[in-house]
Amino acid sequence: MRFVRGVDTRDFSNEWSLLKSFAVSQRSVSIWPRLLLPAVAVAVALAVWWVLSSTGVFPGTLFPSPADVWAGMSEELRTGRLFDDIVASLFRVVVGFGLGVLLGVPCGLVLGHNPLARATFLPGVNFFRSLSPLAWLGFAILWFGIGDVSSMFLIFMATFFPMVLATLAAVAGIPSIYFRVARDSDLSGIELLRRVTLPAIMPQLVTAFRVTAGIAWVVVVAAEMNGAQEGLGFAIIDARNALSPDLLVANMVVIGLVGVVLDQILARLSRIPSLRWGFER
Amino acid sequence: MKNPTVAYVAGAIAVVAVLGVLRLKPWQNKSGPTPIVSNANTAQGPTVSGEPQEVKVGFLPVTCHLTCPVTDFATRTSKANHFASMRFTDFPTVVDALKAKRIEATFMIVPLAMKLREQGVPVKIVYLGHRDGSEVIVRKDSPAKDLRALRGKTFAVPSKYSNQYLVIRALMERQGVAESDIKFVEMAPPDMPGALATGSIDAYFVGEPHAAKAEMDGTGRVLYYAKDIWPHFISCALVVHEDLINSKPEVVRDLVRGIAQSGEWAETHRVQAATLVAPYYRQKEKLLKFVLTTPPDRVSYRMLTPTDEDLQKIEDAAVKSGILKNDVPIKELVDRQFIPKDIKPANIVMPAKSGGPS
Amino acid sequence: MKDLSSVELAALPPILQLRAVSQSFGTIEVLHDLNLSVARGEFVAIVGPSGCGKTTILNLLGGHIAPTRGEVVRDGKARMVFQQDGLLPWMTARQNIELGVRHLPQGSARDNKVNELLALIGLRDFSEHYPHQLSGGMRQRVELARALVSEAEILLLDEPFGALDFLTRLRLRGELVRLLQEFPRTVILVTHDIEEAAHLAERILVLGERPARVNCELRLDAPHPRDVTDPIVVDAVRRILGEMGLRE
Ligand SMILES: Nc1ncnc2c1ncn2[C@@H]1O[C@H](COP(=O)(O)OP(=O)(O)O)[C@@H](O)[C@H]1O
Ligand SMILES: [Mg+2]
Repeated sequence: MRFVRGVDTRDFSNEWSLLKSFAVSQRSVSIWPRLLLPAVAVAVALAVWWVLSSTGVFPGTLFPSPADVWAGMSEELRTGRLFDDIVASLFRVVVGFGLGVLLGVPCGLVLGHNPLARATFLPGVNFFRSLSPLAWLGFAILWFGIGDVSSMFLIFMATFFPMVLATLAAVAGIPSIYFRVARDSDLSGIELLRRVTLPAIMPQLVTAFRVTAGIAWVVVVAAEMNGAQEGLGFAIIDARNALSPDLLVANMVVIGLVGVVLDQILARLSRIPSLRWGFER
Repeated sequence: MKNPTVAYVAGAIAVVAVLGVLRLKPWQNKSGPTPIVSNANTAQGPTVSGEPQEVKVGFLPVTCHLTCPVTDFATRTSKANHFASMRFTDFPTVVDALKAKRIEATFMIVPLAMKLREQGVPVKIVYLGHRDGSEVIVRKDSPAKDLRALRGKTFAVPSKYSNQYLVIRALMERQGVAESDIKFVEMAPPDMPGALATGSIDAYFVGEPHAAKAEMDGTGRVLYYAKDIWPHFISCALVVHEDLINSKPEVVRDLVRGIAQSGEWAETHRVQAATLVAPYYRQKEKLLKFVLTTPPDRVSYRMLTPTDEDLQKIEDAAVKSGILKNDVPIKELVDRQFIPKDIKPANIVMPAKSGGPS
Repeated sequence: MKDLSSVELAALPPILQLRAVSQSFGTIEVLHDLNLSVARGEFVAIVGPSGCGKTTILNLLGGHIAPTRGEVVRDGKARMVFQQDGLLPWMTARQNIELGVRHLPQGSARDNKVNELLALIGLRDFSEHYPHQLSGGMRQRVELARALVSEAEILLLDEPFGALDFLTRLRLRGELVRLLQEFPRTVILVTHDIEEAAHLAERILVLGERPARVNCELRLDAPHPRDVTDPIVVDAVRRILGEMGLRE
C-alpha cells in the first residue's frame, strides 16, 4: 500500500488521472470542429445565396447578390464609415448595457433578499420589462435629444429590467446551506456579499450578461432610430431610406458578426476558474 | 479570486474608455457633440451679425428637401452662417427633435406642420421645398387609367399627415370614388417600390425618389403626376421654430435666402445637383439624376413662396379628412418676411470627385 | 477522546443540553419533550430512521432554529458539517479551509495551520482545486478539516459520510478518529448508519419514530482506533438492531 503521511492515496490518484483526461479530451475533441464546422456552414450558405441570385430565382430587387453586398461593404470599409458606425453602436451598447448591469444587479440583490421590496417592486419591474424600447423612442428624444445619450437610454431600458429579474432569481435560488456556512464562519455585511452572495450568483449572472448583451445588441437598430447620425442601426435604416439593399445587407452582416464576437467575449467569463462550478456537472 | 475580478473590472473600464475616445474623437475639436446654436440660453446672448454660426437644418433624403444639402454645401466654407444639413429617417423623429429644440429649422410635410401648430408647438412655414415631385405609381402591367380602376385595391401613402393623402382624397371625390372603396395603408416610402413589386400594395403616392425607383426597376409606371391632379403641388415646407425667428431673425433670413438660391441653382443645374446631393442622401446618383431630369418638369424648384391660397387649400382638405380638428389661421402659420425679392442661383463650385458630407 | 473515564467526564459541567425540548413544524410535532446532556469532549452518536428529527436536533443544538418549547443550553461555539455540498463551490479547497481559521490573524500562522490540515487530510496536491474537481470523499475531508481547524469546540456532524460508498466511508471514519486525536472536540454525530455509530461513538442514542424520543442509550468504552469487526462494535450493532426490532 502506498501511503502519503498515513493516508491511502490510491483512490485519489485514480480520480486525478480521470480529471486530467477529461480536461484534455474536452480540448482535443472540440477545437477543430468548433472552427471548421461553422466555416463549412457559412460557405454552403454563401454558395446557395450566390446560386439563387445569379440564376435569378431571387432577383436583385428582392434580395441583393453577394457581389453587391461585398461591393457595398468594401465601400463602407474604404470610407471608414463602417468603423465609425461600429464604434458608435458599440459605445452606446457598452455604456447602456454597463449601466443596466451596474444598476440592475444591486436592485436585483435588494429584491432578492428583501421580500417586502420584492412584493412592492416586482410587478413594476415586470411591467417595464414588457415594454419594447421602441415605445420609449419619442420620450428618449424629448429627454435626451438625438444621438448617443438617448440611444444609451433606450438600451439601458432594454437591459436593466431583465438584469434585475435575472439577479433576483439567482439570489432567491442560492441554497441556504451557503449562508449557514457563512454564518458559521462569521461572515456578514459587505464581506458576506463579496465572498458568498455575489460568487454564488456569478455563474447565473454571466449567463444573464450574455442574454442581456444579446438583447442590447438586437435593440441597437431600434435605439438608433432616434435621429442618430452614426451607428450600425442607423446605417440599416439609412440604407433602407437610400434604397440600397446592398448596404442594408452589408450592415446586417456586420451586426451579426459583431454580435457573435460580443457573445464569445462574454462567454469567456464562464472560464474564470472560480465560476467553473456553475458550468460543469 | 480577487485578482481576476480586478482584472475584469479594469478590462471593462478600459473597453468603455477606448470606445469613448474613438467615438468622441477629442483630438477633433469641431466634431463630437456640437452644441446646437440658439438653445434657450445661447439665444439670449448678443448676436453680432457676421459672427459665423452653425445652424442645423433637418431633412429627409427625398428630392423635396434637396435644397437643404445644397445650402449646406454652399455655406460650408461661408464666413457667415453654416447651415448644416442633418439627415433624418422619418418625420416622427423630426417632430420630436423639433419639440425638444434639438433642431430649430427643418423641412417637413405641410399638414404635419399645421398639426404641430394646432398642438401649440410654435413653428412657422417660411418657405417651400419644391413643387410637384410626387407621383401615383401603379404596377407596370396594371390596366388602371384612373382611380376608379383601383376600387377594392390597396393604396399606400407615406402618412395620413402627408399632402399626398389629402390630394388623392380630393381626386377620389372628383372621380366619384367613395372613401371606403380604396384601402389606404401608411407605409415608409422606401418600402413602397418593393411592396408594389411583390403585390402587397396595388398603388402608391409618394415623393421622389421613391416613385421613380419603381419606374427605374421596371416594376411600376406613373398613373398621375402630382401636377396633373393639383397644379403646383406642395409636399414639404421649410419650417422654423418661432424662438429662432424671434432671437435671430437675420439667421433665418440668411437661411431662407440660401435655400431659395440653392433652389434656383438646382433648377438650372439638375445633373450637377444630383451629383452634389447623392453623398448627402447616400443614394445612388443615377436614381437622383433620373428623378431630376426624366422629364425635367417632374420636380420644380421655383415658385416656392407659400401663398395663402395654397396653404388654405391644404388646410381645408386636412380639416375635411379629419387630421386637423380646427382651422389654424394661415397668417399664424406662415411668415413670408424672409423671402428675398430676387433670387439668384447660388454660386456653387462642384466638388472634386470624392466630395461629400463630413 | 483524552483518556478520561466516564466518571470523570460526567463530573464536568455539560457543554450541550436539551431540556424538555419540543419542536413542531406547523401541526407536525417532530420532537416531544426531549432531554439530552453532552459532556465536554464526548463523542455522541444519534441514530434513528430517516425523518425522525435527527437534523432538527442538530439545528437546535447549533442555534439555527429556536425550540417551540423547552430550552437549549450551549457552552461554546458549534459548527455543522453537512452530508454534502457544504463547501462553497467558488472557493478552492484551501480557501474553504481558510474559512475555518478566520479567527486567526492573517499571515503565516494562518497559512501554516491550513497547510498542516491539508497535509493531514492528504490533499496537499489538491489545495488549489475547486470542490467540483474533487471526489465526494475528498470534499468531505475538506469539510471535516474546515470544521476541525475552527475555534468551534463542538462539531455537529449531519450524516457526514452518508453520500459516500462503503469503502470510502470506512476510510474516512478512521481519518475522523485520527483528526480528533489531533484536535479534540465535542462531537455529535447524526447518522442512520448503526455500524458507523458503533464504530465511532462513546455514547449512542437510538431514536424512535416521530415524535422522537430516546428509545435506548448505549455506552461503548473501547478505546480508539477501533476496528469494525471489534467484538464490542459488533455487539453494539447487535444490541441496537435488537432495540429497533430489526433482528431476525
Ligand atoms: N423547516 C421545516 N419545516 C417543516 N418541516 C420540517 C422542517 N424541517 C424538518 N421538518 C420535518 O421534520 C421531520 C424531521 O426532519 P429531519 O430532522 O430533517 O429528519 P432526519 O432525521 O431525517 O434528519 C421531517 O418530517 C421533516 O419533514
Ligand atoms: Mg437529516
